[in-house]
Amino acid sequence: MIPISFNTVSGGYGSLNVVQDLSGEVEAGKVLCVVGRNGVGKSTLLKLLLGYLPCRSGEVTIGGRKAGSMAPEARRGLGISYCPQERPVFDDLSVSDNLALMVKDGRLDGYRRFFDLFPVLEKRLAQRAGTLSGGEKKLLSFTRGLAEHQPAVVLDEPTEGVQWENIQRMAEMINGRKAGGTAFIVVEQNLSFAELIADHYLVMDHGRCVLIGSCAEIGRADIVKHLTV
Amino acid sequence: MDPLIVTQILNILFGVTTLAMIALGLAITFGMLGVLNLAHGEFVMMGAFCALVVDRAGAPFVLAVPLALLVCGGVGLMVEMLLIRPLYRRPFDTLVATWGLSLLLRKLAEAGFGLGFNSVSVPLAGTATLFGADYPTYRLVLIVVCVAIIGALFAWYGTSRAGLKIRAMVGNPDLARALGMPVKRLATTTFVIGSCLAGLAGVMVAPLVPVHPYLGLDYVIKSFFVLVVGGLGSVLGVVAGTGVIGGLDSVMSAVFGSTQAYFTVLVVAILFLWLKPRGLFSHG
Repeated sequence: MIPISFNTVSGGYGSLNVVQDLSGEVEAGKVLCVVGRNGVGKSTLLKLLLGYLPCRSGEVTIGGRKAGSMAPEARRGLGISYCPQERPVFDDLSVSDNLALMVKDGRLDGYRRFFDLFPVLEKRLAQRAGTLSGGEKKLLSFTRGLAEHQPAVVLDEPTEGVQWENIQRMAEMINGRKAGGTAFIVVEQNLSFAELIADHYLVMDHGRCVLIGSCAEIGRADIVKHLTV
Repeated sequence: MDPLIVTQILNILFGVTTLAMIALGLAITFGMLGVLNLAHGEFVMMGAFCALVVDRAGAPFVLAVPLALLVCGGVGLMVEMLLIRPLYRRPFDTLVATWGLSLLLRKLAEAGFGLGFNSVSVPLAGTATLFGADYPTYRLVLIVVCVAIIGALFAWYGTSRAGLKIRAMVGNPDLARALGMPVKRLATTTFVIGSCLAGLAGVMVAPLVPVHPYLGLDYVIKSFFVLVVGGLGSVLGVVAGTGVIGGLDSVMSAVFGSTQAYFTVLVVAILFLWLKPRGLFSHG
């Protein structure tokens, strides 16, 4: 079973299609990195996958089931976690409440591994999440998303503002999860991070796919060529 | 202490707590859902008419409470599903829609009960002596009940898991949806709770005021002033807002009369809109 696949999806805001006829899939235990310049429709693609925007054409399949017009809150039940690029955490809640929200009994024991990896989170538990730095918010969002233990995880620019040493730890964590069979779709600007985790690349420009393939087929130079045009 | 002063203090307390009950429902729907419910006063009016119906039937007054919760909750549920839900994030449209709803509800009450003033007999008639002052028992009970309800609601909102989820939903609805929270259901629940609070407030004040179809207007205007002064989205705001508006209104009424009191409240509200448009305790 393929955790997430999308077939010729188009969609956008108003009458404009930001994303046009994009297809792709990610297998269990693999990472698909979506790269491209700012404003080419990477985040829009994720919003189509998650159900925040309706697909004008094409079909999204999550966990082997067609998502159709399902709302985001229902798609989660198909087995997908999402860490958005903007407003990634609940600013009004404390860091610990942000994490407790997802745990039935409200205990944070399940986050031990994340606290060991990112001690800064444990230090800030009592703090309001809105007072965290941009990078710390991303770490909190990443932690929340991965701790949900869903078969598919979608990350939108997870390393924005995060310092390199923590970026490496994120990659470690993702690679550990890959071994456990989790599928990832990651939108990423940081190619050094992408190279640490990617199995496949989808390079976008103007809402369309300009290059798709495995990391064996696509080198950094091929990607950079499309990023700098 | 001078019994007259005690009476006045109790009057102020009474004014503030009942106003807080009404403003709270409005603050919940406005602050959490972004829905400025202009028909909020009409839910208060419906609650008062529930008390009237129970009173006329000769049934015990407390039966008005479940009746009002049923009626206002039921109407609130229908209104949210049919009228409000398609208009979320369209504040002006909601304003017009709920204004229309308020007209409809008022006219329905008029059709059913006429325009005349009705009175509901006071339960717990008689007075209790407190610090040397005689004060109506019913009002004393109301003060206690209002404080208890408001306190319980705040405690629940601040500490329970359901409260945590609602706070999350209010602050960042898109993220809440990504986490699988039933945002639509929570929004419906929130609106129904706001409607029920208004109905409950209507039952409470029914024995103390003339019950008529236009009863809600006065309350809803004062409740808006509370939100103007207190600011949106915080518990402290509602408490501070009612303290300022309800307190000022009661004090000025006692000293100068109700017209002057209304004038003062208006001036204060305008000053706030002008000088501190986000209120005393706005956050974010």
